Amino acid sequence: MARETKLFKIVRYIFLTLSCIFVLVPLVFMAFKTGAEYSSTGVLEAPKSWLNFYNFAYAIRVGHLGKALVNTVIILGISLTIQILFTTMVSYVLHRFDFRGKKLIMTLFTLTMFIPVVTTQTVVFQIIYKLGLVSTRLSVILLYSGVGIVGIYIMFNILSSIPKDLDEAALLDGASYFSIYGKIVLPLMKPACTTLLILNGIGTYNDFYIPNLYLRKDVQTFTVALYKFFGNTATPFEIVAAAILLGIIPIGIVFLFLQKYIYYGLAGAVKS
Amino acid sequence: MKQTKSSRIMIAAFLVLPIIHLLVFSYVPIISNVILSFTNYRGTGTPRFIGLSNYKRLLTDPQYTLLFKNCLWYMLVAIPQLVFAFALSIFVNGKFRGLGLFKGILIIPYLLNGVIVSTIFIIFFNNSGTLNTILNSIGLGALTHQWLQDLKLVNPAIASISIWRYFGQNFIMFFGALQTVPAELYEAAAVDGCSKWQEIKYISVPAIKNVLFINILLSISGSIQVFEIPYIMMNGSNGTTTPVIQIQQSAFADNRLGFAAALSILVFVVVVISVGLQSIFNKKAED
Repeated sequence: MARETKLFKIVRYIFLTLSCIFVLVPLVFMAFKTGAEYSSTGVLEAPKSWLNFYNFAYAIRVGHLGKALVNTVIILGISLTIQILFTTMVSYVLHRFDFRGKKLIMTLFTLTMFIPVVTTQTVVFQIIYKLGLVSTRLSVILLYSGVGIVGIYIMFNILSSIPKDLDEAALLDGASYFSIYGKIVLPLMKPACTTLLILNGIGTYNDFYIPNLYLRKDVQTFTVALYKFFGNTATPFEIVAAAILLGIIPIGIVFLFLQKYIYYGLAGAVKS
Repeated sequence: MKQTKSSRIMIAAFLVLPIIHLLVFSYVPIISNVILSFTNYRGTGTPRFIGLSNYKRLLTDPQYTLLFKNCLWYMLVAIPQLVFAFALSIFVNGKFRGLGLFKGILIIPYLLNGVIVSTIFIIFFNNSGTLNTILNSIGLGALTHQWLQDLKLVNPAIASISIWRYFGQNFIMFFGALQTVPAELYEAAAVDGCSKWQEIKYISVPAIKNVLFINILLSISGSIQVFEIPYIMMNGSNGTTTPVIQIQQSAFADNRLGFAAALSILVFVVVVISVGLQSIFNKKAED
């Protein structure tokens, strides 16, 4: 803005500095300090050597972070694929066809936003237990595979921009409904799928409640592995700091390359 | 599209699994919870109907009313958080150099998971942590405290982490809403000799009023569901337990499933009210 005054500029930069320096910097410093250095220096003093990677190596080895990362990739990969595929299928059917019970089904999906995950786990845990799935990756994959209403809205948006004539022309040419969906509509829905992938990918990667409740030792996700590490009071804090920095890396990468989807998702959260 | 046999097969095939998932993992559990909440079910045997006892206990026993009082701290810190985000979005309205970086730095805390945020703030609030170090070095040593051990300070301290964590999210939402105001409106105001203050009052504030209201409701439904930070940082100790931590404790450690169900339903009711108001408001805003 042309009429912006110096004051506003200053306010802006103070905010940036405060938020960043006092909170993130001590963590970065700590991750590179040796144990002796950690106990003898203040939190705002820089480490002696920036090449001290001992803490990172130790964290990966003792915290089984490698295994946890593999688990996370498996869980995210499978559940996001199922979830997004199901979301496109449900949205396609609800958007393109009229049938009895459509309103009811739409209402059922919409009302789930009133049912937070934390209020149903007393019963869901029993269901997972009876299925014999507690402490298997399949338990969280199953729980993450549901179709959410935000996803349906995102898909509806893009479906409205795909002309119905396209479907009908294909139908006259003798294509089946399944091939119309698979060969024409699904490829055109790709951008919406990417948005949903990023949004739910971050959400699932960061989720703590579900994996902490259902997964033990060998199958735990990266986030829970970090927590177990942290809850173990025998672990020196500079090691925890290194582990945490490693946990920030995937989010950092996603953020650097895909931030526009994140902003879009936040705007969508207002509308839905 | 017209219904034919093949379209009916398609509709059924595409909907059946997602609907089963929806019923099994959302609707059946919430309805079962309502029923369980009137019983003393302990995971085995037949549940005995005990009327409203669970609810009565939750709403009168000081041990449990504390849970809801703790949530109030999280709602309380949402006020400065929203006010600051609102003010900042008005201040920085418009395009400027470094806007991307600015938005980026503000949104990063929102993208970090609870374990990472908790570690960062344990370092921050520790006795020899960042906060006390800064206070000492600027001559305010008298203000240093054992933030996480002091029973009076621990809840406001950890609740205030939400300000850092969600400030950016609120800011981005307000900022986005302000971008929808056509630039001509500001130009016209400038031509008519409006002061900056009048511009804010008559153009900017009305533009983000809706989003502000939605954010307030989001904060309320978020506050009642607080779990990660007090659980990871404190394990609910020093009086930092919240309803969701208590649900987990009662259901999975103490096997008091009926009781946990009743608490779940209370949380559910608060969410229904705030999300319900939000969608009513949304509909009105669209019309």
